[in-house]
Amino acid sequence: MKGEKAVVGVFTYMDDLLTAIEKVKAEKRDFRVYSPFAHHLIEHATSPGRSPVRFVNGTGAMLGLIAGFALAIWCAMDWPLRVSAKDVVSIPGFVVIGYECTILIGSLAILAAIFHFCRLPNILRKVGYDPRFSDDKFGLVVGCSSGEVDKVEASLKDAGADEVEVRDGL
Amino acid sequence: MGEAAKKEIGYKDVNDQVLRMLEPPGAGWYIQLFICVALVIVGFFCWTRQLLFGMGMAGIAHPIMWGVYITNFVFWVGIAHSGTLISAVLYLFRAKFRQPIYRLAEAMTVFAVMTAGLFPIIHVGRPWFAYWLMPYPNERALWPNFRSPLVWDVFAISTYFTVSAVFFIVGLIPDIAAARDRAKTFFRKMLYSITSVGWTGSHSNWRHYMAGYLLFAAFATPLVVSVHSVVSWDFAMGNVPGWHATIFPPYFVAGAIFSGVAMVLTLIIPLRRVFKLHDLIRPEHFDAMSKLIMLTSGIVTYSYLTEFYTAWFSNNIFERYQFWFRPFGEFKAAFWGMAFCNCIAPLSLWIKPLRTNITHLFILSIIINIGMWLERFNIIFTSLAREFVPAAWGGYNFSWVEFGITIGAFGWFGMWMTLFIKFFPAVAITEIKEVMPVPMRNPEAAGQHH
Repeated sequence: MKGEKAVVGVFTYMDDLLTAIEKVKAEKRDFRVYSPFAHHLIEHATSPGRSPVRFVNGTGAMLGLIAGFALAIWCAMDWPLRVSAKDVVSIPGFVVIGYECTILIGSLAILAAIFHFCRLPNILRKVGYDPRFSDDKFGLVVGCSSGEVDKVEASLKDAGADEVEVRDGL
Repeated sequence: MGEAAKKEIGYKDVNDQVLRMLEPPGAGWYIQLFICVALVIVGFFCWTRQLLFGMGMAGIAHPIMWGVYITNFVFWVGIAHSGTLISAVLYLFRAKFRQPIYRLAEAMTVFAVMTAGLFPIIHVGRPWFAYWLMPYPNERALWPNFRSPLVWDVFAISTYFTVSAVFFIVGLIPDIAAARDRAKTFFRKMLYSITSVGWTGSHSNWRHYMAGYLLFAAFATPLVVSVHSVVSWDFAMGNVPGWHATIFPPYFVAGAIFSGVAMVLTLIIPLRRVFKLHDLIRPEHFDAMSKLIMLTSGIVTYSYLTEFYTAWFSNNIFERYQFWFRPFGEFKAAFWGMAFCNCIAPLSLWIKPLRTNITHLFILSIIINIGMWLERFNIIFTSLAREFVPAAWGGYNFSWVEFGITIGAFGWFGMWMTLFIKFFPAVAITEIKEVMPVPMRNPEAAGQHH
């Protein structure tokens, strides 16, 4: 988070939080919102763009599909053994392998994408985090310089923050 | 409006009620764990007898070479099945009744697959060679036959286990973070700090997490169809009377959901009572699960009747004899037990008050699970006992080793469930909050934020 100070606003009400986010965005400040659950209002207010997780997932799924068929076909060709007059490379029989590998690699790609884009594991970067943000409060953390602290503090209080705290930035 | 909100409970109450389950356990929990571990020891002892003295210790003999172990395997895979249905399919359909029950259903899935996976290994007799099923470079340059349903099964079950476990663990992360923020002891703080991987619930976290979770659900949904379809092909691809039928995949999938939902009820009813989760797990949830049981029971009953009809209509003497043998032959008790448990007993749910009668549902869930075990027994034993050549017909004698391993599997499953409910949130905190009304200082003006 940019700025030597982090001003933490604790909110009970969603509309107050959204008002504060709009103000901070208008002032073009760096900010982070914490919430105990996902909500579309927060998502719309903060990140209108779509997550790139789906591209990683799609790539993983395609790779899985190719890998599954390639494995089955290559194994069949490596030791050709015709059984019951069936084709050595019998695509219908290999569909199950391709199908399962698509799901497996696609799902593992989602896991990797979530960890990558969420920057997990994240032990040290909890700037402005408060345990209440996993309970019943919403948090808005705004990065700013020391000289702007009072202005940001007033802005959050004005939006309806229950309490405002100033911490060192990272 | 969310279910939990009907009693006007707040976000804090949800944390309080769910995280209370993680408090230091009482004597009852230790007794339950002791019983489960004792059963595991019994099962392990029986397995060691089989390893030392050979497969003769089990009742497996010609012509019934699949016996109790494969019956148990199919039973436990079936139990695992509905966890993914509840967590993934119902998530895509936005079914709100899934929220309080899906975590337990997912845990059940993972632990049931861990149990199911033991049986092929036990059944192969020499478990140290079980890795031969996997494709790996070896000195003879031999590869598994990818046209074999047994190899499909290896891929289907291992994929199912991996994806279910990942889906389960990813779903747990935000709730473990909530547990971390309230942990009191050093051990718990360390456990939850490590397993929550530093989750904070920032808007960036939620954005990618929710996108990934939706995709997980979309990818897990085909597994609901594929896993038990592939298991059913273990049978249906074989030219054995009673097995070689195209109805097997949908019949197995419906049966698996049927048994899995029943097992969710068996687990969640005592949990609700012990941890006083009446505000979170409400009669509407039981009503919805009962309707799922009614639907799948209907499909299963229809499948049983279709099997008989196709055997008659085929005019194939082997098929016809097989479907005479099932209700009137040596294993007729299993058939009629199955018919009662899976077709007759669930009809009680057509009476509306019984769909929310907890005692009735608990007893019925156990009856259904017995019935579904008997269904797999019925499919495997009767078909193998009466194949084409009368000279090759035979019966089966159960051994105490098989019995011990079977109850050991229940202990193994119960042990993991018992440990899970005490160490990790067994009810999804964040997802329950998602369906609750959001607190607004000025509800009338809130619409402008949309």
